Amino acid sequence: MTAPLVVGAVAYSPNVVPIWDGMRDYFAETSTPMDFVLFSNYGRQVDALISGSLDLAWNTNLAWVRTVAQTDGACRALASRDTDLIFTTVFVARAGSGFTSLESLRGRRLVLGSRDSAQAAILPVHFLREAGLSEGDVNLTRIDSDVGKHGDTGRSELDALRAVLDDRADAAAIGINTWQAIGRGELLPGAFESFWTSPEYSHCTFTAMPSLAIERSDPWVANLLAMDWQNPQHRSIMEMEGLQAWVPPRLEGYASLVAAIREQGITARW
Amino acid sequence: MVTPSALVSPPPAEPSAMGVVLDLIEGIGRVPTGGTVTVELVHANRIAALDLVAAWCASSGNELVSVEGLTVTVLHGRSPDPLAGLDPAQLPGSRVWVYTNFDCNLACDYCCVRSSPKAERRAIGAERLQQIADEAAAAGVGELILTGGEPFLLNDLDALVNSCTDKLPTTLLTNGMLFRGARLERLRRMDRSRLTLQISVDSATPGIHDSHRGNGSWAKAVAGIRIAHDEGFRVKVAATLPADQMHELDPFHAFLDTIGISREDQVIRALAHRGVADSGIELTVDSLIPEVTITADGVYWHPVAADHDDQFVTRDIFPLADAIAEITRRFVAHRRAAERAAEWFPCA
Repeated sequence: MTAPLVVGAVAYSPNVVPIWDGMRDYFAETSTPMDFVLFSNYGRQVDALISGSLDLAWNTNLAWVRTVAQTDGACRALASRDTDLIFTTVFVARAGSGFTSLESLRGRRLVLGSRDSAQAAILPVHFLREAGLSEGDVNLTRIDSDVGKHGDTGRSELDALRAVLDDRADAAAIGINTWQAIGRGELLPGAFESFWTSPEYSHCTFTAMPSLAIERSDPWVANLLAMDWQNPQHRSIMEMEGLQAWVPPRLEGYASLVAAIREQGITARW
Repeated sequence: MVTPSALVSPPPAEPSAMGVVLDLIEGIGRVPTGGTVTVELVHANRIAALDLVAAWCASSGNELVSVEGLTVTVLHGRSPDPLAGLDPAQLPGSRVWVYTNFDCNLACDYCCVRSSPKAERRAIGAERLQQIADEAAAAGVGELILTGGEPFLLNDLDALVNSCTDKLPTTLLTNGMLFRGARLERLRRMDRSRLTLQISVDSATPGIHDSHRGNGSWAKAVAGIRIAHDEGFRVKVAATLPADQMHELDPFHAFLDTIGISREDQVIRALAHRGVADSGIELTVDSLIPEVTITADGVYWHPVAADHDDQFVTRDIFPLADAIAEITRRFVAHRRAAERAAEWFPCA
């Protein structure tokens, strides 16, 4: 029997366990069984992938870009969630604050999430820069909670929203997933409104080292892509992981993050 | 020039209802699916915050479990539907029981509703029964079950029964002892294609039956079954047995076979500790799958306790759909509470 592929994932919440138990159960019924190993942070996971302890790592966009940097581009992205291909950063403020664009943040207080969160810290600074705003033009506050988990917990983004509510900041930059989690401003219309949404970029992806033979990875990816939202057993796993379909990755969607890392001098390791 | 008013700091933000949602999202993210999170509301905006929490739960796929004072408990994910595992025939409102009256020609020593010749009639009446049948059919009820007391004591029973069978398949519970004269004529005016008679017989021989229901009652009941069969009615037999006799059913089934009762129509139930019964199984609201039951006094949880306040649900029989919905709501709440209690109960 084929040895199971070993997949790494970061335990950013207790629900990571049932997600990967579900994935393991699903793959046990296929020609490509898998097992998983959980890590406390993405740095350790990327180290384990590169050292050969893992066959695959379920990486955030930052972890992918860092793996690329540390392997001189030799690693491979295998598959992402449909939601990973259309990720965005949303700039929000109290409703009626009068923000109309990133330019209107000039001289105002913007709160960012954890420094290792692509969506809530690294890319927002990149988007400001693209809009002609340097860090000195906007009064930035950073909330570094849960560093190491690349913003997966969402905690720093919730803290950022709290800072806006508490009038410690005028606006916050958060991921589309957090914006959706608080109801896109529709639950309490008086609380928040979004005033700028970034271009779409890519988020998580399964990452493999070149040492994983194509003959092993391709059938595994084929089985992954075969998970079916209409199948109730698959669906419960997919709902927990936040997708309706597994899809091939979109590599050009990482370009903005690569540029941001270069501009901000973020090192290949943390 | 900056005016003094512009220099005044903005007032501190009022306690934010949205802040409670942020607390919730954060807390929910830290517990596994199926776990619960509690958040504290601020008195000043309790109503707005509760509305927001409810809306957030609805949109995010989590469940608002309880609100006690300012403490709100939310379940991560949704608890499984407590009704999902039930046989469709067990869903509240799949059938509705109606007590036509409480007086009876017998005074059985285990009667769960204390019926006897001395019991007050407390008749449901033709008008109410007609409305029950109309509304039951409209509410998707599949069957009506009429019981008492002894329904054949009622002089208008044929009209009562026909008002039900006109709308829904109906079962009429009787002791089968009164099929003579005018009462037999009433039986003959009932709709054989829509009515099943359910006659009580407790044993294969007179001894046990008569010891509970009165001398000679067994022979009359068996004779009643024959009459009902001769008149072309489907007959079910229901036996009420103490728990210690439930293991010796073969002779009883064999007897019922000989008098033409098909096996699917042989109903044997355990004696309940209700009414005038001095022993039997204990049946409480939270341990009993409800069977919507209507008497002249209102709506009850289950026919076994239609004379007991602990299973009284509401005085308002109508709209019947509301009564069914209320029983369903309470049933779901009981099941969820039981599931939560089970989660808390340590194994060792």
